[in-house]
Amino acid sequence: MTQLILFNIANGLIIGAFYALMAIGLSLIMSLSDVINFAHGGFLAIGAYIAYTLSPYIGFWGGLLVAPVLTAVLGIIVEKFLISRVYGRDPLYSLLLTFGLAFIFEDGTRMIWGAQSVPYSVPNWLMTPLSNEYFFITGYRLLMIALVALAVGGLFWMMNKTRLGLRIRAGTLDLETVSVLGVNVRVLRNLNFGIGIYLAGLAGVLAAGQLGLQPTIGASLIMPSFVAIIIGGLGSLLGTLLGGLLIGVASGITSVFLPSGTEAVMYVMMALVLLVRPQGLLGEEGRF
Amino acid sequence: MTNYALEAEGLHTFYGKSHILHGVSLKVEEGKITTLLGRNGAGKSTTLRSLVGLTPAREGKVTIFGQDTTRRPPFAIAGLGVGFVPEGRKIFPNLTIEENLKVPADRPGYWTIDTVYELFPRLKERRNNKGRQLSGGEQEMLSIARALLLNPKLLILDEPSQGLAPLIVREVFNIVVRMRDQGMSVLLVEQNVRMSLEVADHAYVLNDGEIAFDGSATDLSEDEDRLQSLAGVSAEVWEI
Ligand SMILES: Nc1ncnc2c1ncn2[C@@H]1O[C@H](COP(=O)(O)OP(=O)(O)O)[C@@H](O)[C@H]1O
Ligand SMILES: [Mg+2]
Repeated sequence: MTQLILFNIANGLIIGAFYALMAIGLSLIMSLSDVINFAHGGFLAIGAYIAYTLSPYIGFWGGLLVAPVLTAVLGIIVEKFLISRVYGRDPLYSLLLTFGLAFIFEDGTRMIWGAQSVPYSVPNWLMTPLSNEYFFITGYRLLMIALVALAVGGLFWMMNKTRLGLRIRAGTLDLETVSVLGVNVRVLRNLNFGIGIYLAGLAGVLAAGQLGLQPTIGASLIMPSFVAIIIGGLGSLLGTLLGGLLIGVASGITSVFLPSGTEAVMYVMMALVLLVRPQGLLGEEGRF
Repeated sequence: MTNYALEAEGLHTFYGKSHILHGVSLKVEEGKITTLLGRNGAGKSTTLRSLVGLTPAREGKVTIFGQDTTRRPPFAIAGLGVGFVPEGRKIFPNLTIEENLKVPADRPGYWTIDTVYELFPRLKERRNNKGRQLSGGEQEMLSIARALLLNPKLLILDEPSQGLAPLIVREVFNIVVRMRDQGMSVLLVEQNVRMSLEVADHAYVLNDGEIAFDGSATDLSEDEDRLQSLAGVSAEVWEI
């Protein structure tokens, strides 16, 4: 029994880490651009497929390194030519645009790579369980946790120690004043979007090795990511990370005791948080 | 021949459908302090917003350092060397003083984080405090410091003395004069009519989105009737 619970907690942490990576990117974009990026899951899928396509040539590690960067470049292009056009307009525009993009990405990946799930190969030694007793702990899972920690840590460092990060934080509260201080806010929003999409791409590559790769891989992660943002508190990096991990683990544990409630538990948690602490667990007035 | 840092001609500015500025024209002479006065709601802040690109005028033309900036975004106008100290200071509350000072774009020149700390030692003392923890006076210093980091040739201030203790008001005005004496052009919007006219070279009075006076600051300070009408609701500023 303990083993089963541990197994599901581990699974929950892994899936929660995906939610967190997605959610942090979504939250960055929402805070600076006032756009809810429904295409985020599409970017995740594209990141995964890019890695899948490139890894025969540059290997697993090469794909892990290059695919998120290429995804970010795609994000930067999409922001510059499409998303930025709807800034400042009625939110309905960005909603329709990103919704449309989500469909385009999903069908696009289906057209190029097929609707069937494709095998994404991870080096064998990474997939071997580290011990018989804890068969669910593989090198790959440890690698994932390490990379997610590295990405979130790196982002945290950037937001606090670099001028780009400071400007993003300032801009989430008052973009007008950032602009008046001579900062090109078009470039700022563009780079910020790219950072968010980089995280989605990274989540995509990691998820492909763990969950298998099919065109809907991103769509299944997007709703929980929104829930993670709300539970953690919009604008709080650590809160969003915590929110993602929490709902992942909660789903994992629920699957042991009440399998039919696995999907619902995160929404119940969200409702509770909204009732008790509407700004989210770590949300406060000052963002990031 | 007189050179102007800024020339605005016939500005018409709207917020949505409300027509706020009705053909405002004004000039800021190089190396001088020009003050823009007027009652609350006259359109002073809107005029400044039009000049710095935050709320572009729908009609009319703004020329800054000889370039047409009417439709340029705020960051491009700032990049020409225009420092703006907005109404209400607009400090980033979630950043420390030092972090606030890292936000502005670098334009090379005398002003760096070190030199603004020399000008405002208080900011250096409190460098690791968040914006939201600062007093009104400290916020004002920070807002001015932030604008100086652009090494502006033109400094635009919107009611810098608002809500400050008399001693600090004095200090703010001293700094404005010091900047002018170092060659900066200044456009100063103020509620504190008497002190503004003391330091200004040229004055405009805005009334309901139209320029009602355009002349030397000395002429305006001798025009008792107009001054009375300007004092408006905030008569206490006369006591400072
Ligand atoms: N964002 C806004 N939307 C609509 N009306 C505004 C806005 N800001 C200011 N106004 C209106 O424009 C007029 C001029 O305001 P403002 O330029 O702030 O005056 P001042 O700075 O001289 O006090 C006022 O009537 C004010 O109510
Ligand atoms: Mg005003």
